[in-house]
Amino acid sequence: MLEVENLWVRYGTVEAVRGVSFSVPAGSIVSLIGANGAGKTTSLRALTGLVKPGAGAARFESRSLIGLAPHQVVSLGIAHVPEGRRLFPKMTVLENLTMGAYRRSRADVASTLTMIYEHFPILKERGRQRAGSLSGGEQQMLAIARALMSRPKLLLLDEPSMGLSPIMTAEVGKIIRQINALDVSIILVEQNAMLALTLAQYGYVLQTGQLVMQGKAQDLLRDEGVKKAYLGL
Amino acid sequence: MTFALFVQSAIVGVSLGSIYILMALGLTLMFGMMHIINFAHGAVYMLGAFVIYYIFFQGGAPYFAAFVASMILLGVFGYLVERSIYRPIKGGIEPTLVALLALTTFLQAAGYPVFGQLDKHVPPVFPGTRNILGVGISVERLMIIPVAAALVIALYLFINKTRLGAAMRAIEQDKEAAALQGVNVHVVNGLAFAIGFALAAASGALMAPIFKLDPMMGEQPLLKAFIIIILGGLGSVPGAILGGLMLGLIDSIVATALGAEPAFLLSFVFIIMLLLFRPTGLFGYAS
Ligand SMILES: Nc1ncnc2c1ncn2[C@@H]1O[C@H](COP(=O)(O)OP(=O)(O)OP(=O)(O)O)[C@@H](O)[C@H]1O
Ligand SMILES: [Mg+2]
Repeated sequence: MLEVENLWVRYGTVEAVRGVSFSVPAGSIVSLIGANGAGKTTSLRALTGLVKPGAGAARFESRSLIGLAPHQVVSLGIAHVPEGRRLFPKMTVLENLTMGAYRRSRADVASTLTMIYEHFPILKERGRQRAGSLSGGEQQMLAIARALMSRPKLLLLDEPSMGLSPIMTAEVGKIIRQINALDVSIILVEQNAMLALTLAQYGYVLQTGQLVMQGKAQDLLRDEGVKKAYLGL
Repeated sequence: MTFALFVQSAIVGVSLGSIYILMALGLTLMFGMMHIINFAHGAVYMLGAFVIYYIFFQGGAPYFAAFVASMILLGVFGYLVERSIYRPIKGGIEPTLVALLALTTFLQAAGYPVFGQLDKHVPPVFPGTRNILGVGISVERLMIIPVAAALVIALYLFINKTRLGAAMRAIEQDKEAAALQGVNVHVVNGLAFAIGFALAAASGALMAPIFKLDPMMGEQPLLKAFIIIILGGLGSVPGAILGGLMLGLIDSIVATALGAEPAFLLSFVFIIMLLLFRPTGLFGYAS
């Protein structure tokens, strides 16, 4: 469903992503793991038009993503939950959700909202509360729910476990599985490699902008190098 | 100061404040979303007044039609400025400020050969006075208040109740996150330029029958609007409204009682005091 080939991104003189290739089969969860500054976030940003790649190709359902603006990428069916959640803190929970459906008609929004509330009952309860006043876990739930409001075929999640307690992290993991079960493909970027590789079918390991390893998630979990470098075992 | 004089200058103050508010709201909207200060706002005010001169006075069109034309023409101009100046600069704040300053200078300098060296006057649209609390108030001045109030309410409803308004609030809070929800940030920024310019044009159009017209006429209200958005906290709408009213009242009441220079001085003293005690302005966020 998504094919990325030889992607290069630089910020000024910093080469953040150097020739990365990966692919996401329809219906799967694929994970990108790596240490701080490995280029995970930058790779996602290049896919959704937040940064312009210097070279490379990215095709989603055989349409090129290169050169598209973020709003055009959304229309193709890709939603991006950015690092740090990036909610609209002064808007209410409901307004944040409505923003997620910005490009869709009002009639569609109501039915999606019903579906979202089934998965995230807490967001219904907190509908009139400002997003900025939610707890960290609730904010992450809202960020994911907001992205789902566009009814994406592919969801990009950048460090959804960041700053969350182990209990909340497990909760987020459960939600990611549920979303995937609804036939939404997922790219999961995580520093928490254990979580990422437990959820994903396939994983890619990035190091200083380059792909250093890839494989089935269960194989990566057993790999001695991965264990030592990313799983703290 | 007699009671009559006080009532009169208070009402003139509110009417003056209404103009300042219209100017400041556009500046605040553009600053909140793009972090730019529109130096061209005064020149747009001036153009708004000249549209009234040509379409209403010279062209003989009804004042209301000329007023709407002034807002539309300069609103379109605002959109084009976003398109041709702000967008190509790609968010660079300093280059944008320099470009806006250049645009301002160009519009003012071009004003002299185009509009002529002599001051222009627009005849009264609403002549006469009206009795309020036993005091005669110029209807021309009075009419500014409901028109400005209607524009402020329309802006409020647009920003808070419509989809595009929500997109503006989203950009103000997080431009990238707004883009990721599907907002075409360029178009919505262009809309903010259009609204800001249209409000400045409305201010100029309302003042055209009251003050003389010349290419530099926008500098004074622009300065006031700058003061107000600092006073009210950059990007704060309620702050701009309260700040505008306060400054209008100071300008009018103090100027009537003590003269124009003390009023000018006092408004600065007032701001310095306010910034000393509340460094982010009246409604500013510490962010
Ligand atoms: N806006 C920017 N300007 C300049 N350099 C940047 C910018 N954003 C990221 N970088 C650099 O690009 C490289 C890759 O950063 P990126 O954020 O993609 O890494 P990451 O894998 O997501 O890291 P983390 O796990 O800390 O989120 C780093 O060296 C970083 O310093
Ligand atoms: Mg990152």
